[in-house]
Amino acid sequence: MKTPPSLITGIGSVTPFGPLAGLLPSTSIAPRVITAWPTPGLRHAFLVEPFRPAAVVPGLKTRRLDRLSAWALVASSLALQDAGVDLNQMDRSRIAVVFATSFGCVELTEAFFQSAATNGWPSTDPITFPETLSNAPAGHVALFHQLQGPNLTVSSKSFAAESALLQAASLLRHGQADMAVVIAGDTLTQAIYEWYEAAHMLDPACFNEEPLSPSTEFIPGEGVVAMVLEPTGKRQTRSYAALRGGHWASGGDAQSCIHQLLSGAAPPRILCAGNGAPCASSSETCSARKIAGPDAVILPRQPVAAGLADTGALFHLLLALSQRPGSGEAIMLGTADVSGFAALHLELP
Amino acid sequence: MIDAKKTIVVTGIGVVSPYGIGWAALRDGMLAGKCCLQPATDLYPGFQGTLAKVGELPQLPESHNFSRSDKLAVLAARDAMSGFNGVSETLRASGIIMASTVAGLSEIDAEIARGAADWYRHGGLKRASSFSVSCVGAAVGKHLKIDGPNCTVSVACASGAMSIALGANMLLDGAAPMVLAGGSDALCPFTLSGFNSLQALDPQLCRPFDQNRQGLNIGEGAAVLLLETLAHARERGAPIHAVLRGWAMTNDASHPTAPRNDGAGLATCIGQALERSGCGIDEIGYVNAHGTGTPLNDIAETHAIERAFSGRATPIPVSSTKSYFGHCLGAAGALEAAITITAMQSGALFPTLRLTNPIESDSVDYLRGELRRVPLPVAMSVSAGFGGSNAALVFGRLSA
Repeated sequence: MKTPPSLITGIGSVTPFGPLAGLLPSTSIAPRVITAWPTPGLRHAFLVEPFRPAAVVPGLKTRRLDRLSAWALVASSLALQDAGVDLNQMDRSRIAVVFATSFGCVELTEAFFQSAATNGWPSTDPITFPETLSNAPAGHVALFHQLQGPNLTVSSKSFAAESALLQAASLLRHGQADMAVVIAGDTLTQAIYEWYEAAHMLDPACFNEEPLSPSTEFIPGEGVVAMVLEPTGKRQTRSYAALRGGHWASGGDAQSCIHQLLSGAAPPRILCAGNGAPCASSSETCSARKIAGPDAVILPRQPVAAGLADTGALFHLLLALSQRPGSGEAIMLGTADVSGFAALHLELP
Repeated sequence: MIDAKKTIVVTGIGVVSPYGIGWAALRDGMLAGKCCLQPATDLYPGFQGTLAKVGELPQLPESHNFSRSDKLAVLAARDAMSGFNGVSETLRASGIIMASTVAGLSEIDAEIARGAADWYRHGGLKRASSFSVSCVGAAVGKHLKIDGPNCTVSVACASGAMSIALGANMLLDGAAPMVLAGGSDALCPFTLSGFNSLQALDPQLCRPFDQNRQGLNIGEGAAVLLLETLAHARERGAPIHAVLRGWAMTNDASHPTAPRNDGAGLATCIGQALERSGCGIDEIGYVNAHGTGTPLNDIAETHAIERAFSGRATPIPVSSTKSYFGHCLGAAGALEAAITITAMQSGALFPTLRLTNPIESDSVDYLRGELRRVPLPVAMSVSAGFGGSNAALVFGRLSA
């Protein structure tokens, strides 16, 4: 879809880099040894260090929430702050929240199963149940900031974050909101990690003290990234990038789609966003080379963001923007393990 | 003068409900006033309640990784496409926006909590692979060989209506030539236990909008609408069941689970959908309400409808069709959209079953008793859910 661009005016994140507003530091992050749960041997993952949300966002109460809800609250608060948004000066009924997740509030879902296993299904925990719903984080963000616009939670195989970003842009385009807080992420739990392990999806680096290499495939990770999206010209503010359009699909031809987005031109710059599945190994880079012009800059996918699988694209975008890849048009390309692609058409300042 | 490229029409409707597989089964069952809710004790040891189940599902090819919610979605999508005679390449590029809250939770049992790795080794690995709600949309795409944009919305009980609203946005964006939009949710111990723990279930037959209502009954099912622009539908000679004239989504931002008692958030949503549709408050002939039967929802919704239709010449006819086969959670909004279109096509306003002592309201005409036969050119369906979300859809006839 080709339309007037939306601007990314604020960024907040809770990732293995910690809770941060704006771009990320230029340090690299290594996977950590898992100590949060018992493992059958050495196991690594890209984990978020525990922190107190109220220390980052004063007044935030998260005691009964899943970490996903808590991080969504922190990341969205940091993004709005980074965008210089004074919510008291805004019509909050015109601000949307669009949240992308693959597993939802899986920690409290597991806790609910635990209460069923311990006490039986007739005696489960009433406080936990509503917090297991996938849209609980987006609901809490709306409640905390008093945002009364459309409030969506979406999930899409491989491209949940891209889908969220494009649907948020669609809300702005159709006048259904004047601003959108787009959030994407997941938490990692023992049960999810063990599922990846049982499905033989883990990279050897998950088991050893090996340094990361370009061939590193999938190391599970966690985190949440939030971005504030606004229509061009609504507010005088700086932007990290303009989202000109994009497309996601579970099949089809990425190359012709991208050339359509760029009106026939080859992309000068491609930011790769892998979905983290093992068989996606560098397929983005291969696709990117086929699509890009001979002098194109190609930023490969980052294992720390690929660890978020379906919801990693906002994190990939944040990492790419943090590398300051130069100004001009860019395509953020994601490819899936079986088929499908997502392409975001960006204009970098 | 309507702009055919910006007018969204419904050209296919597919349903799997406790009445059976197919939109016709739903239509015939509801027109006959049949209630599918039944006492049940077999959902988990100790459960005693009232619910509505879909019977055994037919075998689907390559569905070994599908959850029950996935299968319900696929069957509803297949029903929606049953009359499709268009170009297969158009179908392939189409979009899918499904909705679900349960998704693959129905395939996971509490034993996972005693040790996930062990549970996976004993058959759980495949069952857990359908856990993510994204699997519902993916299953429909895989089965119908549709590989356009594909996602699943999960916004609690407003999900099904929101998928239709987002499908309309997707068409206006030109992101797909057609969109299959709907919702699907299976019964499972997790959700029944959850609502039971909240004391939100009526152990007897639910009585939405009754002053003596005690709570909800849960059902299962799926509904899918085939959406496209009027221009596209005309080009391929598709049958037009209804026009999606307006849609809107808002959030109460008031409480994690309870709706605003004054109904302001839902009223705003209804107002926005009316504005988008270009319809005045007197043009709407029927509101298919969310009407869960819980004490909090039904009074808040009554207030919302009173606010939104304030100044109307006559009381607005309202009913809750959850009284026929329960609350199908993420599928509810899509099923109720299908029911609203059924009401328009049949010229029949469905009464709320078992409504004997309605909430007092001067401006709401709670439908009860017999089916009311009236021409219905324009009608509305509204949904709300935990997390404060609201959605409203306005449907009309093409000539309306």
